[in-house]
Amino acid sequence: MDHAMMASAADSPLGRILVEEIAPVVMVLSTPLAEQACRKNGLDFVQMLRPFCFFENIDVPVRTASDQPYRLQEFILRVFYASDVRKHSSEVAENLLKQVVTDRSEIPFSKSQTDGLHYEGISAGRKTHLDAIRINRHDSESVPPWFQTFNRELLHTLSFSEHETFDHPVACLLVVSTNDDQPISRFVDLFNMEQLPSLLKDGTMDSKILKHYLLLHDNQSGNLEKASSILAEMKSTFGLKDSRLLCINSSPDGIWEGDHSPWFHYKNGVSLKQDNACFLTSDDLNQIRDFMQDLCSKHIIPHMEHKVRELNQQVSAIRKGFRNQIKNLWWRKGKEDTPEAPKGPMYTFNSTESQIRLLGDYAFMLCDYELALSNYRLLSTDYKLDKAWKHYAGAQEMVGLSLFMLDQSKKEAEYSMENAFHSYERIGSSGLRYATRCGLWWAEMFKERGQYKEAAAVYFRISIEEPSLHAAVMLEQASYCYLLSDPPMLRKYAFHLVLAGNRYYISEQKKHAIRTYTGALSVYKENSWSYINDHVHFNIGRWYALIGMLDVAIDHMVEVLACSHQSAATQKLFLNDFLRIVQSTGSKTEVNKLQLPLINMPSLKITFEDHRTYASSASVHVEESLWKTLEEDMVPSTYAAKSNWLESYKNLNALKKSNEASICVIGEPIKVYLEFKNPLQISISLSDVSLICELSPRPDGTELSKFISENAFEIGLLDKTELENVYASYVLSRENFILGGGETRGVELDVTPRIQGLLKIVGVRWVFSDSIVGSHIFNTDIKRKRGKPRSNEDHFGSTLCFVVVKGLPKLEGCIHKMPHKTYAGDLRLVMLELKNHSEYSVKNLKMKISHPRFLIPESLGDLELNFPACLEKQIRSESSDIQEKIAFNSYEKSNGSFSFPNGTKIQGGTIFHWPLWLHAGVAGNLSQYISVYYEMENHSGDMTYRTLRMHYHIEVLPSLNISMSITPYPTKFEEFLLRMDIVNRTHTENFWLRQLSVVSSDWDISTLSSYASGHLSQLLPAGQSLVCFFKLKGVSEINLLPIQGSDSRVGSEDTAKGLLDTFKSPLIDFHHHERRHQENSGQGCPSTADFILISQLVNSDPDELPQLFSHHSCHCRTASKDPVLWLLCGPHAITHDFGSSFCEADLVMRLHNSSTTAASVKVVIPDGMPALLGESSDDFASSNRGQGGWQDVPLASDPLTSALEGARPKMPQSGSDGQPFAWCRSSSSHLVLEPMSTVEVPVRVCIFSAGVHDLSNFELHWSLRAGETDPGTEDRRRSLSGMSRARPFYLTALQTVN
Amino acid sequence: MSGTTACFVIVSRNDIPIYEAELGSSAVRKEEAAHQHQFILHAALDIVQDVAWTTSAMFLKSVDRFNDLVVSVYVTAVIIHTRLMLLHDSRNEDGIKSFFQEVHELYIKILLNPLYLPGSRVTSSHFDTKVRALARKFL
Repeated sequence: MDHAMMASAADSPLGRILVEEIAPVVMVLSTPLAEQACRKNGLDFVQMLRPFCFFENIDVPVRTASDQPYRLQEFILRVFYASDVRKHSSEVAENLLKQVVTDRSEIPFSKSQTDGLHYEGISAGRKTHLDAIRINRHDSESVPPWFQTFNRELLHTLSFSEHETFDHPVACLLVVSTNDDQPISRFVDLFNMEQLPSLLKDGTMDSKILKHYLLLHDNQSGNLEKASSILAEMKSTFGLKDSRLLCINSSPDGIWEGDHSPWFHYKNGVSLKQDNACFLTSDDLNQIRDFMQDLCSKHIIPHMEHKVRELNQQVSAIRKGFRNQIKNLWWRKGKEDTPEAPKGPMYTFNSTESQIRLLGDYAFMLCDYELALSNYRLLSTDYKLDKAWKHYAGAQEMVGLSLFMLDQSKKEAEYSMENAFHSYERIGSSGLRYATRCGLWWAEMFKERGQYKEAAAVYFRISIEEPSLHAAVMLEQASYCYLLSDPPMLRKYAFHLVLAGNRYYISEQKKHAIRTYTGALSVYKENSWSYINDHVHFNIGRWYALIGMLDVAIDHMVEVLACSHQSAATQKLFLNDFLRIVQSTGSKTEVNKLQLPLINMPSLKITFEDHRTYASSASVHVEESLWKTLEEDMVPSTYAAKSNWLESYKNLNALKKSNEASICVIGEPIKVYLEFKNPLQISISLSDVSLICELSPRPDGTELSKFISENAFEIGLLDKTELENVYASYVLSRENFILGGGETRGVELDVTPRIQGLLKIVGVRWVFSDSIVGSHIFNTDIKRKRGKPRSNEDHFGSTLCFVVVKGLPKLEGCIHKMPHKTYAGDLRLVMLELKNHSEYSVKNLKMKISHPRFLIPESLGDLELNFPACLEKQIRSESSDIQEKIAFNSYEKSNGSFSFPNGTKIQGGTIFHWPLWLHAGVAGNLSQYISVYYEMENHSGDMTYRTLRMHYHIEVLPSLNISMSITPYPTKFEEFLLRMDIVNRTHTENFWLRQLSVVSSDWDISTLSSYASGHLSQLLPAGQSLVCFFKLKGVSEINLLPIQGSDSRVGSEDTAKGLLDTFKSPLIDFHHHERRHQENSGQGCPSTADFILISQLVNSDPDELPQLFSHHSCHCRTASKDPVLWLLCGPHAITHDFGSSFCEADLVMRLHNSSTTAASVKVVIPDGMPALLGESSDDFASSNRGQGGWQDVPLASDPLTSALEGARPKMPQSGSDGQPFAWCRSSSSHLVLEPMSTVEVPVRVCIFSAGVHDLSNFELHWSLRAGETDPGTEDRRRSLSGMSRARPFYLTALQTVN
Repeated sequence: MSGTTACFVIVSRNDIPIYEAELGSSAVRKEEAAHQHQFILHAALDIVQDVAWTTSAMFLKSVDRFNDLVVSVYVTAVIIHTRLMLLHDSRNEDGIKSFFQEVHELYIKILLNPLYLPGSRVTSSHFDTKVRALARKFL
């Protein structure tokens, strides 16, 4: 016999179980008086014996089937009352098991709290935790120890089955007290068939059982002599060996003298009290021990030995050998026909099968596993043939176990166990529990070999058929198997824990359920399997709530709230459960990690006002750099330059450096914009949304910087009382709103400090659904750019810290009547309003406007301006004109910066107005930035100036499109025809054209008198266009004329008095800007004209103030392409008597040079004739005539004089040619025109006959003189020389009638 | 094979599900089953972890089962180590294999998208539509 190997198998957990559970049973029958004696110690008789049933060093020689004896070192007896030797009813068994689980639920639960913490730790160092478990693999600490207890209890409920014999009593112990009457007959009576277990009665086991007679003597109740006499009697009656006397309760005083009670360690269901075993002396204990050892070694083991040998012989005779095998088979076949007896045991004790089984079991108990195995194998074939599946399974089970104990053929052992398991399962409900037992052993077997995965699978299989409580325990065991497997299968572990938890919950073991789920959570914690996390957290939360631990419940429920992936119904369920739990706490609960709503941290924008103040939120969101450039010239340049202003300012500066805090002012709110997002599909309500702030008062004096450096870190550590003090030192705004499903809402929250100190915005808090207080602490470590950059501070954390400084006057400003939407050209008066709410006054006001093209301040600040009447023409004096010009110039020079008149102060609590002119110059989106600078009257604070920033956005729609085209008058110099095309591009508005003015003193504009009447309408309806013609005349005097509408439906009186003065401040100023912006093509062109069209919106309501529009069209070129213009002036008709003589007519040729350079001009008759005004002496002759009169003009010589000299009156050659007239006199044919000058050349023509004569048969050649100006720059697009034909000039000569 | 419960998940290298789809016609129980399916698939990762290194094949067939639900897995290249996992109750192995191959191709296309960060959630609706179409075709 391989004892070494056996020992190792027996030492394993399964081995221990087998040794302990498959051990000989001693059935006890006792009289009530005997029991009474034991009761004095708080124990019954069986309990009294139990601690002495374990024999660790019994060292008994055993000889079974083989001749070779071996020694048993360890032996165990199981002692039961006869009444207990029966199968438990299922209810009792169930309750027993439930009790085991419930008992344990308290202990591990309290542990699970610490475990919970422990598990939190795992997520960080899961490996170490695992290692710990794996190192302690066999340590009962890692795996909850009560699993073993549970498993054993489960086994116990299956004891005393009929198909197995190892639970059948091997011996019977009859106990009679000495106090009993007639003890001998009591002994006989005790072994009364009526009271015996059913196993004995129905013949499943042999009723001829080893009996042992024990006389129990209580030393307190009688003397020993009586006992001795009875013993003697017993010995004579029952036999010398089988009778014993046991004396107990020797201690008279009832004080336990030993160190510790042996029962103390014996856990098996004995409730231990102080008075336990108090009457037992150590002598008594020794006596019991001796008795038990005697009983075991001298009676039970020899009896079993004997029985084994006997049965073995018997079995060998019947079954061993080939002949017997055949016989057996034959015989079994025949037996098949007999139907199975439905009642009673199938195999009685004297059937061969039972005997083989008994043999096997005895051999197993005596540790002769080889013998046991061979018998079990033999048996299982028999049972199989008999189709006795339960018995077969039992036998197979034992085969497996024997193999395990022998540590042989693992494969076969597993196969046997599986076989047994299946067979048990197959027989239906009666076998299920046995299947479980078999499975447990099977799983243990796997665990023993390190095959944890397989063990877990077995546990899982067991759990399927078991009631939920058992299943839960099995599943939990399975989960631990996964944890212990190599590599650890954490996910399986967690999954099975969850399955177990679910079963625990079903069987109302909530604490166990929570424990398992919490265990699973340690695995699931990091993952993003959302449904899993939701399920686990939600259920843990729910269960905690059920057992009344609401705070923990809330902690878990909070985790599932933000479940955007779930359906709306589930979200509602989660939320309602959560609210119900919270409400059951009965108070407003503060929840730290409340995920509802989600806070979009990147949206965080903090607006505060130091020396920069903002008029509206629109101005806050403007880039700081824009303001910076705008205010560049206006504000004192740097802090450093102003360091001598005040000592406190230095402090401030130092302070800014030390902790990068921003500065804010007492009484002025710091606004925090934050977006709240509802991740759910259902709406949630939020109330009392406010900021969490800390404000620590600033101590006075020199310790300032020190204080700040300390406080920057310790600000969160203010003690309670201080905090409360501080609480009143700032005011928070509160918001209430409801977030719909999936909605994101931006909220602006304010904090207004009331005392000086250091303010820190810590976070935001809100009340969710009126019951839960959630909060979110801003993480100041996040470094990123803010939405509202303060350029030099991009550290996010720093912006949450503020140094609160003393109250300063702050102006609030707005511009009244500022439109959001208007049409291009709109001209209106708006009112700047500055309010000073503080008690201090401010001075030194300056204003800067980003686009003076569109907005200019009224220079005089006259509040009584009556718009638009103020624009109307008045009698003006020269002086005012000059003054205005100066004002404008000064405004221009300061680059849009406007200083309010000296001495302008805004007293505390007053309102200051200043009119501004708005002109929507172009269509499009206009962004107007206005910054008002002001200084403190008597600054004692840290700041000396502040700026007020205003931002307005105007959408300008296109209104009228104007294009001008100017054509010279054919007959007059300096007179032009102005064609104005106007298109009304609006869709709805009608314009009433009011006035067209030319902005120059050089021009005079008038309507075309002949044309105007009846055609020109002042009204321009939406979408229509109009063409107007005007006469433009160059004059030296300013003259403005209205457009005269003949059929004005608006009212002619209005028209009459509606003449606006375009030279007055706003119009002319805007015109200058427009002019500057329209400067492009017309540059350098000497003669241009600028026009202002003033129109008015046709109002439906006549009482409304007229809305004026001015459209500026600048740099309209008046000059034609040719720089040199000429025309003939003279009479158009003469009357002459041609009979007497030819007629002479005096004409004037007017030449005009519109260019900026001098031009030389030559007049040429094109028909090959020399110049009619006389040949130019040298050049003309030498030049090539074939070029159509093209001549170079000698520039060096003085052309005028030479031309004049050469001019001779010529005889008309036309006479011979038939031409009826001839040029006869000219002052010059060749002359130089000074820039921008007009020359009149008198000419004379001789007319020979009456008729209408076209005198325009000559050409004018001109050439600009290069060199005087650079031709490359100015007149690039004009030719340097050219030719122009004369315009037709008809002279009608009439014959006088004599 | 219609009417079968199936849940398809793509699990990234870090065991994060980057795509989830409940396939099959049993849409009614979806809500309750969702977490159960996740549990089974998540637990099966343990088995995949073992099995994946024992074979060079990408299709691991059914690696795990829970009651009547079977988990079939397809493992992609080691560097990405993405696992396509299908929880199903039918036994159409060929169909499942084809399904996996096709989805793998789709997934590779997703990976080729330069804007897709490997390991992040697949949110493409096109992908979703395609996967569901493939499921109808093969499963």
